[in-house]
Amino acid sequence: MMCLAVPAKLVALKETQGVADLHGNRVDISTLLVPEAKVGDWLLVHAGFAIQRLDPQTAQETFAVLKDVEAAANAGGDP
Amino acid sequence: MNVSSIRIDQVLQRLHSAAGAIGRAVSFMEVCGTHTVAAFRSGLHSLMPANVRLLSGPGCPVCVTSQGDIDQLIAAGSLPNVTLCTYGDMLRVTGANGSLEQARSRGADVRVVYSTLDAVRFAADNPQRQVVFAAVGFETTAPASAAAVLEAAHLNVKNFTVLVSHKLIIPAMDALLSSGLVKVDGFLLPGHVSIIIGADAYRPAVKQYGLSCVIAGFEDQHIAAGLARLTEMARDGVRQLENQYYPAVTDAGNRHAQQVISQVFEPGDVTWRGLGTIPGSGLVLRPQYAAFDAAQRFGLPVQEVPEPPGCRCGEVILGHCTPAECKLFGTACTPIRAIGPCMVSSEGTCQAWFKYKRTASANLQAAHVQRPPAQRPATAGQGVDA
Repeated sequence: MMCLAVPAKLVALKETQGVADLHGNRVDISTLLVPEAKVGDWLLVHAGFAIQRLDPQTAQETFAVLKDVEAAANAGGDP
Repeated sequence: MNVSSIRIDQVLQRLHSAAGAIGRAVSFMEVCGTHTVAAFRSGLHSLMPANVRLLSGPGCPVCVTSQGDIDQLIAAGSLPNVTLCTYGDMLRVTGANGSLEQARSRGADVRVVYSTLDAVRFAADNPQRQVVFAAVGFETTAPASAAAVLEAAHLNVKNFTVLVSHKLIIPAMDALLSSGLVKVDGFLLPGHVSIIIGADAYRPAVKQYGLSCVIAGFEDQHIAAGLARLTEMARDGVRQLENQYYPAVTDAGNRHAQQVISQVFEPGDVTWRGLGTIPGSGLVLRPQYAAFDAAQRFGLPVQEVPEPPGCRCGEVILGHCTPAECKLFGTACTPIRAIGPCMVSSEGTCQAWFKYKRTASANLQAAHVQRPPAQRPATAGQGVDA
């Protein structure tokens, strides 16, 4: 999905190159578009770029919903 | 907005209550492929009141890309010594000479990347290859394309170029409304595009056209809540912009992203499927970054060609017809062997309709056939098919 962003937690950062924890996966992300990002922040990540900082509660709730969606998709056999 | 603070049953109750009080049919349009898919997948359409319709507008990046741009992209991917990097969505879009996927099966080097920076890295690591990135999408993807150009310039990667067909959402809405092509009571606006451009970007159009607009997120509750609010606004005659995706979407948007976009790109006249050429509705590279223009480097002109015979994608993305009204839908055109881009894209209205709504439509048609017209309830079918 081209315009879908997902929340991830920034766990390492060197200049604008970061590593984010995305649902248990470590992914390389760029913080070029969110220069105020710091380790420990929840970020909305789109195609390898952080596009917004999130408050932790919103991020956790979005994750909870995504998990529900994933469970429903798995149950239905259709991703 | 906090997801857990929205209860879907309460939202639907509000939606039905407001719809019942309106006493006429109302229609709203979303302009985001992710909204399209989420609304179909969640079954929201079948839970909506009979007099409320949610149309899918020109919001799926693949679907609004013109046939000429698609042909240009596939031509780029088929060049010898070129590695074409793309988001996965574009892989199966069909042009005059087949799709990128088919070009790859003939030996073309076509790679799906997660991030634009992966394409730059690949170019830096493979200086003997020419690497072209397919820069497609709305304002959500444009900053990533711009960042890739800046990164390539910074690292002096000379074998990296971009083939740009970025689109801008507000000029498209403006074109839809000013031409009278689309008559809707309001718009459900896309959350992630809005994170970049900011809520204020919509205000001139909202004022000019007297629109009811709600910026909404992507969870089922968000979309249902946005629709409920739009219906309440229609009931109460409220014409304004409301931001239900706060605090992710701010009034000003992401200024860093906007700055990166405008550093590399400037607005240009681009062609949309179903809409034709709209002034200032796309992004083109600024002259100082012309060296990164794949169309110039490889001499790839855009030749606008007719859409595939019988394909009604252009009408589908304007909400002028439903996928089921297209003769190709579900017969010649399926997700496995797609003819039009709305069936190719995972965000396309036709593919969403095929996956989540086809059975309901078929059952409904069967019911209509079996039932004499005189006995059919006046509202039959609107809840599912409308």
